Amino acid sequence: MIFPRIAITGMGVFCGAATSVHEFLDAVLNGKSGVGPVDLFDVSSFPAQIGVQVKGDRLSERLNRRQRTRLSRTDQFAVLAAEEALAMSGLAGHYDPYDIGVCVGGGAAGMFQAEQWLAAHLRHEKAPAGLLRGVLPDNTAKELANSFRLAGYQGSITTACSSSATAIGWGGDLIRTGRQKAMLCGGADSLTLLTYAGFNSLKVVDPEPCSPFSLGRQGITLGEGAAFVVLEDEIAARQRGATILGFVLGYALAGEAYHMTAPEPDGATAARVMLKAMSAAGVDSAQVGWVNAHGTGTPLNDVVESNAVRQVFGYQADRVPLVSTKPITGHCLGAAGAIEAVATLLALNAKTIPRTLHFRGRDPECNLDYCHDACRPTDRTIALSNSFAFGGNITTLVLGAACLAHKEGC
Amino acid sequence: MNTFSCPIVITGASAITVAGTGIEPVIAALAENRCCLQPAPAELCEGVAGALWGRANQFKAGDFMPPLKARKLDRCSQFAVATAGLAMADAGLVKGSIPPDRIGIALGCGFGGIANSAEFLTGYFQQGVAGLVPLLFPNTVANAPASNASIEYGIKGPNITFVQRFCSAESAILAACRFIEEGRADVMLAGGVDELTPLMMQGFAALGQLHRHARGFGEGAGILVLERADHAAARQATVKASIQQISTIGLLLAKDEKTGIARLLSESRSCHHLMVSGAEEVATRLVDAIQADSTWYPGRLVGRSLAMGGMALATLATLVQPGEDALLVSASPDGPYFSIKLTGGYPA
Repeated sequence: MIFPRIAITGMGVFCGAATSVHEFLDAVLNGKSGVGPVDLFDVSSFPAQIGVQVKGDRLSERLNRRQRTRLSRTDQFAVLAAEEALAMSGLAGHYDPYDIGVCVGGGAAGMFQAEQWLAAHLRHEKAPAGLLRGVLPDNTAKELANSFRLAGYQGSITTACSSSATAIGWGGDLIRTGRQKAMLCGGADSLTLLTYAGFNSLKVVDPEPCSPFSLGRQGITLGEGAAFVVLEDEIAARQRGATILGFVLGYALAGEAYHMTAPEPDGATAARVMLKAMSAAGVDSAQVGWVNAHGTGTPLNDVVESNAVRQVFGYQADRVPLVSTKPITGHCLGAAGAIEAVATLLALNAKTIPRTLHFRGRDPECNLDYCHDACRPTDRTIALSNSFAFGGNITTLVLGAACLAHKEGC
Repeated sequence: MNTFSCPIVITGASAITVAGTGIEPVIAALAENRCCLQPAPAELCEGVAGALWGRANQFKAGDFMPPLKARKLDRCSQFAVATAGLAMADAGLVKGSIPPDRIGIALGCGFGGIANSAEFLTGYFQQGVAGLVPLLFPNTVANAPASNASIEYGIKGPNITFVQRFCSAESAILAACRFIEEGRADVMLAGGVDELTPLMMQGFAALGQLHRHARGFGEGAGILVLERADHAAARQATVKASIQQISTIGLLLAKDEKTGIARLLSESRSCHHLMVSGAEEVATRLVDAIQADSTWYPGRLVGRSLAMGGMALATLATLVQPGEDALLVSASPDGPYFSIKLTGGYPA
């Protein structure tokens, strides 16, 4: 049986580093980090006081009053990123609404607002009940379905930091099986006191901008935002005259079954997932140009991921850079996988391997090429994007450049 | 395509509910039409009279795991670990009897993580940084139940968690069947888990939920063991039922509900047994389109939760006799909607 190839016909981004695909392309190719002070809530008591926060004016200028008051911060990001992706795809009117689904990877969802309700509740004060409206991550999918009249599949994946990568893989699968003709897939998440305090309490937040794979790194820098892609069967997309922006060639997912927070030390499951994703995509390791790392900047994760990549690529590992875009975007948790998938697609189409920013020195335990010095030109058209999560949930996406639609151009 | 290219069967099922541990207490409650819920304390209900709730108070985590381990797990994870173990035992499986990378887990999770989040944040709001308890933070994620179950049973195949209002478990079951169909796993544990706390009841009351979709709230878990039919046959497993079809839509569009209902129910308009899960008022328009010999509403008796579809399908798979057709219809306010069609016994 020949399965259709899953084409990407729209992309949208709204995050602390960039509020459009155009801006994000500039940030990714030119290494423009969005790290700065966090003023969304009081961070003065935490060792780390930075993050990649969406500043208020960027939201207020794009949303109407109803959206500003009714939607959670996370859902506001989602609506803006999804709007850009859907507009870019030109999907409207080409499919029955029941043939278009939505799948969102979520994380803390509307916790930022819910925290305000809880704080008031603990003070025995009455707070607006609307602050609780978006507390569950499924609210984002519901808002998108209603806002854009997407009546097909509606799902929310909640595997922490791998949520939105899985949402993209699963969304492609729903098209591959014929259940849907088009899918809006991605993720959204916002900075919250819960995650800011939580990661600080675990002592995995770097007080300086995160520096994945560098000597002396101390952990993550948190971020926030959303990214969405529109997926379609390549043939159907071509038939309606859509511009193809890239491909989701395959994916794989698994659980490490090791520990809730610590990665499996030998990286065996991560390596297996990368291999299975390539197998699902029909891609050979020699075709892969680089791996977009989960690359959080925590001392342990970066070593394990490096070891896993070496297991996958063997003697070729030194020619397959492992790069992290988290120094640009921060770790956007539930949205991270989708934001990084878009970063990878933009870089593939620009024939450029992104740079891993904030190099502090070479770590002998991280012995791959991380593009710490500069971004790099490439003629490769395929890249992997890894997402690892609390609970050991691992997902790898295999992404292809737009030029795969026209082989002569590659 | 709402069917699967290979036969998928249910070889194990279990549940933990307010009615007790296992499927049998749910079946007994259905047979007797006995409501296991209690009046919710007035102080949780903002003056709304008649609200019911039910916590799985008969469940003791210590019956299923050492006390030290139980203390590390949030309540949803305790439910998931215990129910997964019971479902595996029902299917004749033990840890290690399936290669770790060939067995996966897909769970729908309702408010899992929210209770831990509230406890973690309460420490901060009341005592500042000194009040933070790092041990609580890892279990604030919704995938903690599936991940803790995977750790407990060495499950290294596909691992996924959905939160999708009253169709959370159904979403997970669809993904599990797909993972089996495409060969990502031979066996999948799939279902749902949810918990209920006094703070949640206060939140529901604040949002007006006690007046609306789910006056009787419950908690617990329901997990099935799904596997490829030939895999089940090769290990001579007892098959409860086979999955015939799973259909879903996200919205019922105004002025075009007929198309949505047709897509959801296709030919599944008659069956021996119909089970209704989720928000009953919303499901009514679907139920009205189905002819069934018997119709069950387990939420009325053991309480509704976002992940009750796991309990409902586990119960239905246990009740359906070989050759009988059974249908689970699930609905959430504002969508999504699911229908899952089973046939008792091995597929024809």
